[in-house]
Amino acid sequence: MKDHTLSHAGRWLLNRRDFLRFGGSGLSSIALAMLLADERLLAAAKPPIRPQWSPEHPYAPRPPHFVPRAKQVLVIFCAGACSHLETWDYKPELIKRNGQPMPGGDKLITFQGENGNLTAPLWDFKPRGQTGKMISEMLPNLAELADDLCFVHSMTAKSNTHGPAENQMSTGFTLDGFPSMGSWVNYALGTVNQDMPAFVAIPDPRGVPQVGPNHWSSGFLPAVFQGTAFNADTPIPNLATPREISPATEQSSRDFLKFLNQRHLERHPGDTDLSARIASYELAAKMQISASEVVDFSGESKPTLELYGVNDSNALKARFAKNCLLARRLIERGVRFVQLFNGAYAMGEGVGNWDGHKTLKKQYSVHAPILDQPCAALIKDLKARGLLEETLVVWVTEFGRMPTFQKGADGRDHNPHGFTVWLTGAGVKHGFSYGATDEFGHKAVENEATIYDLHATILHLLGLDHERLTFYHNGIERRLTDVHGEVLTGILA
Amino acid sequence: MLGLALALLASTRSPAADVDLSKLPPPASRHIDFATDIAPLLADKCLGCHSAEQKKSGLNLASRQGALQGGENYSPAIKPGQSAQSPLIHLVAGLVPDKLMPKKGDALTAQQIGILRAWIDQGAIWPDGKTLAKAAAHWSLKPVVRPAEPKAKHPNSKIKNPIDSFVVAKLEEHKLSLSPEADRRVLIRRLYFDLIGLPPSPREVDAFVADRDKEAYEKVARRLLASPRYGECWARHWLDVVRFAETSGFEVNTPRPNAWRYRDYVIGAFNEDKPYDQFVSEQLAGDTLGADEATGFLVGGASDLVKSPDPVLTSNQRADELHDMVGTTGSAFLGLTVGCARCHDHKFDPIPQTDYYALKAVFAGVRHGDRRLTGTNTQSWDQEVKDQRQKLAEVEDALVEFEPLAQIGSVDTNRLRVPVNARLNIERFAPVAARRLRFTIAKTTGAEPCIDELEAFSAAAPSRNVALASAGTKATASGVYPNSELHRIEHLNDGQYGNPHSWISNEAGQGWVELEFPETVTINKIIWGRDREQQYTDRLAVDYRIEVCVESNDWKMVASSADRQPFGAGTNATEAFSLALLSPADGDRVRRLLAERTQHETRLKELADVPMAYAGQFDAQPEPTYRLYRGDPMLPREIVAPGTLTAISLKAGSESAGADDSCTDCCASNSACSLSLEQQRRVALAKWIAAPANPLTARVLVNRLWLYHFGEGLVSTPSDFGVNGATPTHPELLDWLADELVNPKCDPAAAHPWSIKHLQFLMVTSAAYRQSGNSRKEGLIGDASSRYLWRFPPRRLDAEAIRDATLAVSGKLDLRMGGPGYSFFEPNDNYVRIYNPKQNYGSEDWRRTIYGTIVRQRPDGVFGAFDCPDAGQIAPKRARSTTPLQALNLANSRFIMQQAGFFAQRLEREAGHDVDAQVRRAFTLAFQRQADPVEVAAAEKFVREQSLKVFCRELFNCNEFVYLF
Repeated sequence: MKDHTLSHAGRWLLNRRDFLRFGGSGLSSIALAMLLADERLLAAAKPPIRPQWSPEHPYAPRPPHFVPRAKQVLVIFCAGACSHLETWDYKPELIKRNGQPMPGGDKLITFQGENGNLTAPLWDFKPRGQTGKMISEMLPNLAELADDLCFVHSMTAKSNTHGPAENQMSTGFTLDGFPSMGSWVNYALGTVNQDMPAFVAIPDPRGVPQVGPNHWSSGFLPAVFQGTAFNADTPIPNLATPREISPATEQSSRDFLKFLNQRHLERHPGDTDLSARIASYELAAKMQISASEVVDFSGESKPTLELYGVNDSNALKARFAKNCLLARRLIERGVRFVQLFNGAYAMGEGVGNWDGHKTLKKQYSVHAPILDQPCAALIKDLKARGLLEETLVVWVTEFGRMPTFQKGADGRDHNPHGFTVWLTGAGVKHGFSYGATDEFGHKAVENEATIYDLHATILHLLGLDHERLTFYHNGIERRLTDVHGEVLTGILA
Repeated sequence: MLGLALALLASTRSPAADVDLSKLPPPASRHIDFATDIAPLLADKCLGCHSAEQKKSGLNLASRQGALQGGENYSPAIKPGQSAQSPLIHLVAGLVPDKLMPKKGDALTAQQIGILRAWIDQGAIWPDGKTLAKAAAHWSLKPVVRPAEPKAKHPNSKIKNPIDSFVVAKLEEHKLSLSPEADRRVLIRRLYFDLIGLPPSPREVDAFVADRDKEAYEKVARRLLASPRYGECWARHWLDVVRFAETSGFEVNTPRPNAWRYRDYVIGAFNEDKPYDQFVSEQLAGDTLGADEATGFLVGGASDLVKSPDPVLTSNQRADELHDMVGTTGSAFLGLTVGCARCHDHKFDPIPQTDYYALKAVFAGVRHGDRRLTGTNTQSWDQEVKDQRQKLAEVEDALVEFEPLAQIGSVDTNRLRVPVNARLNIERFAPVAARRLRFTIAKTTGAEPCIDELEAFSAAAPSRNVALASAGTKATASGVYPNSELHRIEHLNDGQYGNPHSWISNEAGQGWVELEFPETVTINKIIWGRDREQQYTDRLAVDYRIEVCVESNDWKMVASSADRQPFGAGTNATEAFSLALLSPADGDRVRRLLAERTQHETRLKELADVPMAYAGQFDAQPEPTYRLYRGDPMLPREIVAPGTLTAISLKAGSESAGADDSCTDCCASNSACSLSLEQQRRVALAKWIAAPANPLTARVLVNRLWLYHFGEGLVSTPSDFGVNGATPTHPELLDWLADELVNPKCDPAAAHPWSIKHLQFLMVTSAAYRQSGNSRKEGLIGDASSRYLWRFPPRRLDAEAIRDATLAVSGKLDLRMGGPGYSFFEPNDNYVRIYNPKQNYGSEDWRRTIYGTIVRQRPDGVFGAFDCPDAGQIAPKRARSTTPLQALNLANSRFIMQQAGFFAQRLEREAGHDVDAQVRRAFTLAFQRQADPVEVAAAEKFVREQSLKVFCRELFNCNEFVYLF
């Protein structure tokens, strides 16, 4: 931690110098608007802290509000609403009362309509690790990590339909058009590795989740903070130089472009936006190299490849495993925020995602092996390499599922009233469970937590006060957490 | 603030007897000072409605006399020495049921009530003759008053029109000055990109540079404002402001194929310089003004199409839809964040929560969806559709009689019937007695089988469908698709066709249905289909048998798929007729009938193709609107009537108004009004917003125009003119412009009121606009962002302009206007739509960017990275950021490489094979200037060593290409 503080202080000094340097000449109008609006808001109890960023170095590391516990974040998003009852939330009463009506549930209409009887989890549970945490056999490899994980069993969502709920999990708002968590973090902190995007989203090999790019959109934040989406199969769009242009031609093209831009700049001295654009071409060129290198796994050892299942005979699992390995490589290279997706919606309800409405057992039997080993390998590998010291890992999904089966079907409907997310790595307790749902796993009843709280906690661990990290848009100091959210202090290490 | 509502309490002149005084907060125990404790409280909480100018219920709390005198219902309002008996205290403490004062804004705290009580108990001391004034309204809510044109301290020959007087005065305040006029090549490039979003051609540049006319610049400005290209450029700005897109957003993000009509409407409105008040009115109530497409504004936002039987979700979705309409109306026209008052009174602006719901009530009858454009004569259209359907049914009936009989037992393979098809299948057989009928499916084209209607016809004339539930027949099935409102066993014989009224089995590829007739019937024909509306072709039964029985188990097969040609490749899936099996005479007759059928079907299709616009549908009698506690649809409170914002009064000289400006005034008093109640609401709101006296409408609009011309608004928060918004840098100029918009005095002969082009002409012909964009040291030091306009603030072009300029320079730009757009994405019809950016572009993609279908969440794959809004929320002002992804897209995308190739071909065409000429031509096309010798030399060397095409690619990537100075 000590080193951490030092480097943070050093970075802060460096950044302050940058700020003064740019402050004199070319801060854009954004900065002026910030200053103007700040004056008005100084009286507020918790005045906003708007990151000072310059268009020339938009990703330059910026100081957090206070000493952080984590420097980087990895979010694993299971699209389709992965059932907490088949995985992390052990409910003996649900097993006992399998097949009976849920008390008070007879008239209950949920997302797809009427519900049948209580249904025991479709996989058995076993105690795990030192803590004896009960976890199902659906995800045996992840279950092994129980002592490292910090479960929040009392999570609640605002919406019970995928689109708005995915929006909320990744942007804080159920509506379209708000900045994603990763873009907030990018805006707040910049990044260490200037050759890589600060915020990378890794879509599942099967496609993107329901609201697709909303997960990594910058909303009304400047586009420079949006996530860059690519995975092990599909590179960043337009990353590669067109085949018809040889490396020599490309080099000479860059020189020629720079020559023209320099002459233009000479005619317009002091316009820093122009030099920012010249710099963006240099960053793009570096990114061409680094983003190609990061998906080149030839330097990975055989045991590592095996750990993840990169060469597994299950082709989908192997492709997801590559994405997991990519996630580790990105974290290793200092990427500030990585979002790893498991599941996609294009194939339809429950087919390529966790939306098990009608044939949950059959569908989860397909999805679980794809997720389990590669994802567990990712956590283990991060830990083994010491990366969890400064990386916060958060496993989420849009909401939970009902303790009952749907009427006339063999699956569970949406349930936003109680579900599980877990965290591990920097700043959180390990082998710990927080909050609880009722005896059937229907509603959060103990330490009820909201997605706002989760976001507030993630920002807190990054050294950011969620009430003060703001961006002025259309009359409002917008926050990731709207006007809500409290840090879940109970889970902090 | 004892409001109008008190009139209803006339009988309760002395409320003291009825109120529970134990609920009163105690009086403060200190000495109360009128000036510091009481005057600000009254001004803040009461005088908005109860002042000398505006005595709601006859009460004036601005003077001691008024307070003692009281109003129509309570007299006096305060009883000195007796706070517990003073009606004012009862009302602010909420002791009179439902009459908590103030009506607008936050209630008084217990502490504030304690202070008021103590003041009354201490004798209600009020300095002699002191009259209070209410708290000053926020600047933007005050009436627009045309300011006098300031006189510059140093008379300045640069001043072109009154705008400059204001700008120069402000510059002088900051010890700055205007820059010299820009070079003509720079100027014409600026004017072209700004007004029409395209670069001038080299010929147009040369003509302007050579024009000796003193009015040369003005001539260009007039010409560009009159160009159809102008509307295409400026419509885009408006589409940002109103969050317009052509897909639904959220999870499924489904296309709205008729949404483009609103885009065309906006382009047309700009081109014809539609008066802005009319433009506003049409977008809110175009259905009453002969501008149907305009209400595309109301439904331009996202809407969640994922429907559910869950009432909470359904209410939330509806509340979100209406919130989008309220919020966008408030921000687009009024520059107020009305949406912030959804859950509580606005935190900063005088917008009580009830105002939000009053506006919501205005839109309560508006629903998302397509609407048939009026102008197509509705009545005759309806009649013809009916006639055509009738004729079609007759033809089909006649055709059925030629259908061959189904073969039972051994099948003659030379006489196979046509394959099954999704629309309709006929089974004919010799008359047979039946009490029950069973249709068993053993195989489908995929997934669980679906039947939209199963009909069985009696053999005796007149033949009738005896399967109908209405005839007493009961339907049962092996199973039913779970939890679906659409696919139920009851739908099998309900007489309704189409997928939404169908049965689907619960098992993949199989299932059975059974009909039990009320008595034994003799039938000879069965007709069934998967979807007679022809929307769906999946789930079709291809292996099936139909059996009947009279007694309990004497099942007898009457038809099956065994004698049909196999379903699949090579068969015409829509042709349900076995023509080959007929005699020549019958064949001719059938051909004639088929021809007739085609004729009716074609006509019906034409009729169905009447122009539709995604412009919303209107419920003539909207449901009541309730104030929602904390904005939660599950916590409705009192009913709120439609209305406008109470903080804005249109009455001259008054700064605040109450419910008197009710929205339904216009028609409530007019019994001859032909509009529906729902329309009246929107018309009234439109009139109120578009009224010349509305202090916000004109200010907000002129500020938007300024923003797009100068790169930043006079108010830098263009959709927030509230307390939390920015204050104007040039308040007098803003008001002068707003007044000039409504009451044009500069060249009034040429300008009509609310003329956008008039204002724009003044702006672009000002010296402030025409000055150089080059930086000057003293300017950068004093005002780095050029807010005071010591230079023309340079800026990066918007995504649309960069793309259009690329096409214009390559010579491929297609200027066809209007109509459905082209797509930036590969075709896809997945339920949750997948948008993969196109990789191959053809000439249909070379129209202007504004004609590219706007997909919510998904800006174009190449140019979207240039801060294109994703249309999830409004975008009153675009960010202009610089990112490495932009660089990658411009450098490496197929689009740019292809256009670079065309640009190179154009250079060879226009400049021949001389590299020197090619290079020079390229500079004039791309940068609107001559290349200097150093550039020519470097460029020639580059072209010779590399290629002309790669040279063209580099030009597209230059700062000079994408920056406007």
